[in-house]
Amino acid sequence: MNAVLRIDNLRVEYRSKEVGQRTKVAVNGLTLSVSCGEVFGFLGPNGAGKTTTMNVLLGFVNATSGSARIFGVDVRETIARQRLGYLPELTYYYKFLTAEELLRFYAKLFRIPRAERESRIDAVLKLVELEAASKRPIKTYSKGMQQRVGLAQALINNPDLLILDEPTSGLDPIGRMKVREIIQRLKSEGRTVFFSSHELGEVETVCDRVAILNQGELKVEGSVDDLVHQHQCNLEQLFLKVIGYRAV
Amino acid sequence: MNNVFAVTGIVIKEMYRRKDFYVLLILTVLITGVMGSVTFFNDEKISRYLKEICLLLIWISSLVIAITTVARQMPSEKENRTIFPLLAKPITRGQVLFGKFLGCWLACGIALLCFYVFFGAITVSREHQFHFLSYFQAATLHWFMLAILIGMALLGSLIFAAPSSNATICFVAATAILLVGRHLNQVALTLRGGQQTFVYGVYYAIPHLEIFDVRDLIIHNWPGIAWPYYATAALYALIYGGLFVTAACLIFRRKALN
Amino acid sequence: MLALLFVLCFGTAAWLDPRYTALRAQRPTDVLSVLMGDSRKMFANHFFVKADAYFHSGFYPTIFDNHESFQTPHMAGDAGAMKDENEGEETAFMGEPRDFIERFTRHFMPAMHTHLDEGGAEGAAAGADLGEAPGGQVREILPWLQLSAELDPNRIETYMVTSYWLRKRMGRVNEAEQFLREGLRSNPGDSALLFELGRLYQEDRKNDDRARNLWELGIQRIQEEKKPLSDPDKFMLGNLSLSLSRLEESHGNLSDALRWLEVFKPVSPHPSQVQRQIDELRDRLGEPVSSVTSKEQAAP
Repeated sequence: MNAVLRIDNLRVEYRSKEVGQRTKVAVNGLTLSVSCGEVFGFLGPNGAGKTTTMNVLLGFVNATSGSARIFGVDVRETIARQRLGYLPELTYYYKFLTAEELLRFYAKLFRIPRAERESRIDAVLKLVELEAASKRPIKTYSKGMQQRVGLAQALINNPDLLILDEPTSGLDPIGRMKVREIIQRLKSEGRTVFFSSHELGEVETVCDRVAILNQGELKVEGSVDDLVHQHQCNLEQLFLKVIGYRAV
Repeated sequence: MNNVFAVTGIVIKEMYRRKDFYVLLILTVLITGVMGSVTFFNDEKISRYLKEICLLLIWISSLVIAITTVARQMPSEKENRTIFPLLAKPITRGQVLFGKFLGCWLACGIALLCFYVFFGAITVSREHQFHFLSYFQAATLHWFMLAILIGMALLGSLIFAAPSSNATICFVAATAILLVGRHLNQVALTLRGGQQTFVYGVYYAIPHLEIFDVRDLIIHNWPGIAWPYYATAALYALIYGGLFVTAACLIFRRKALN
Repeated sequence: MLALLFVLCFGTAAWLDPRYTALRAQRPTDVLSVLMGDSRKMFANHFFVKADAYFHSGFYPTIFDNHESFQTPHMAGDAGAMKDENEGEETAFMGEPRDFIERFTRHFMPAMHTHLDEGGAEGAAAGADLGEAPGGQVREILPWLQLSAELDPNRIETYMVTSYWLRKRMGRVNEAEQFLREGLRSNPGDSALLFELGRLYQEDRKNDDRARNLWELGIQRIQEEKKPLSDPDKFMLGNLSLSLSRLEESHGNLSDALRWLEVFKPVSPHPSQVQRQIDELRDRLGEPVSSVTSKEQAAP
């Protein structure tokens, strides 16, 4: 299969604020690829480098060395994001806009033709069940509704690759179920999903392949089934083993 | 340019959904109305003091609207994390900045239009004449001046950590340039050596905002400015504003967002 | 003991009350004085100068420019309210442009010398002296003069300048008189204001008797001063005594005219000329005199 997402020897360094340390390495020599139609889980403890990697993929941060490509295009090119949908971990959007106005704005950025734009907006609002609230300002939305707005804006351009940063964070069980359903539906449509999560049970259910990061380095990568079979434990136990956690 | 105009539209929407502009417009109308209700020596035809007060209020309001609107654009995007879903779309950082600049400038233009329409109404009610050409030149020069100021504040918003410090510095700089910018060359003549060189350097480097302050011309009903000079001033403003926006783009291009 | 205490309290109150009332009377009670203190005089001066800037339709020197030709506000000099100390060309305060920026900037500000009573900016632009239309453009300086007077009621020039323009150029004699009387309420017995009020009565109300009374009162106020006369007082004494002399002469009261000229002579800048006029009047007093002849001889 063609690689939708390809990361080669990625290294990201930051200037360190700690005494006696000039730079801090957030990601060190990361290499992985994600194939078309896969649901890929990107795992690791806090501070492992997951968000930094995603920031590089989305162009928020420049890599110190190495490369990352989306659909064969360097991530630093704007066109790389044309077929991309992104849901950030913390979902804040322009509070003075309504959901409909926000989606219309993002649709313009994707150059969705005017004729198609309104139908796309209606479709995603229906998908995330926000039709009734679409004309209210976002500042009046609950956390769950804001998360759904986030999902809607990530799907507005019918993306071939969806990058989700902890999509179920802060959601109630119903909300988490809905997100899982959307991911599975996208997978059935042949789209690629790349997401990070701390909900390992969910990851084990939904993902085809996973990668586990720790302290900026890739520790383990492969299909869920193979890894579970190879290490004779569930994904959570594997995760704890890989990061070197010892129970007291 | 579609992306730029999309961002522009959002900025304009934000401005007219916030209360600042309406408060300042109402204050201007109220204060001018109160001052206009005063008669001096039973003469109701006195108008220039009222024009001066109204224009002063318009200038103060426009500076407040322009600087505070721009100063919070990028910091607010970062603080509210709305910059991330925005830059995750196929839009460059330069387009975001230019869209912000254009949006703030057009929003200020709309605000200025409202203010100057009110000013025109006041003038017509008192003087029973309307110097359209002069007022058009004054309003548009004022708008061009705001382009420089908005560019400056946009650049400042990427350099200074807090919007309040950026706004304060921009206010102080704008006020200082308007009051004494024109006279720095005279001050330089009284100095020697390094001090003179420094003051001359400042004099030639600063954007001369006082060029665009033609209030005296319209208060005292002087004829309009010759069009070649007007066009040159407009070009000057756009070049200076462009320089500030370009500098902002260069800084923002390399900035890590995390 | 209680009775003694009552007596003590009421006695203290009775003793304190007039002293407290006197103390309160010395403190300013109007809002502006309380808010601004002595800085209101600074603002008053600013607005007085602003009125002159309006008189010039905005073509006015800043603190960085050459003020030689603007030391005395022109509107005050024209009104005779202040001694004209201006030197040099009125149009030259900015000098030649020092660089291309300054040359360019001058196209965006008033750059022509004009007075409101000569047509102002519109007249200057048309290249003609449009003269003073009835009620004309000079009215535009009035708000700043009124504001200056409110901020500093003790500034006499403000009242004199305003009165001059109101009555001589705008025909608003009632307003001019009212303003002068406001000035007199704030500056009781001020000789300059009495002089100006007298001029109003003589020139506009054609009431010579009232004018005479006011001028004589003005002279009386000056002569009541125990300390040596200052230059402004001498100047005003001169104005008052000369005006009275001319008034009396016009009415054929030559002895009174002579008396006032003798008061004028010590403060006159040209005492020898005044002496000649005194001698002429003395000659005339020794002969039958017609009022026409006396007017011709009295002219300097």
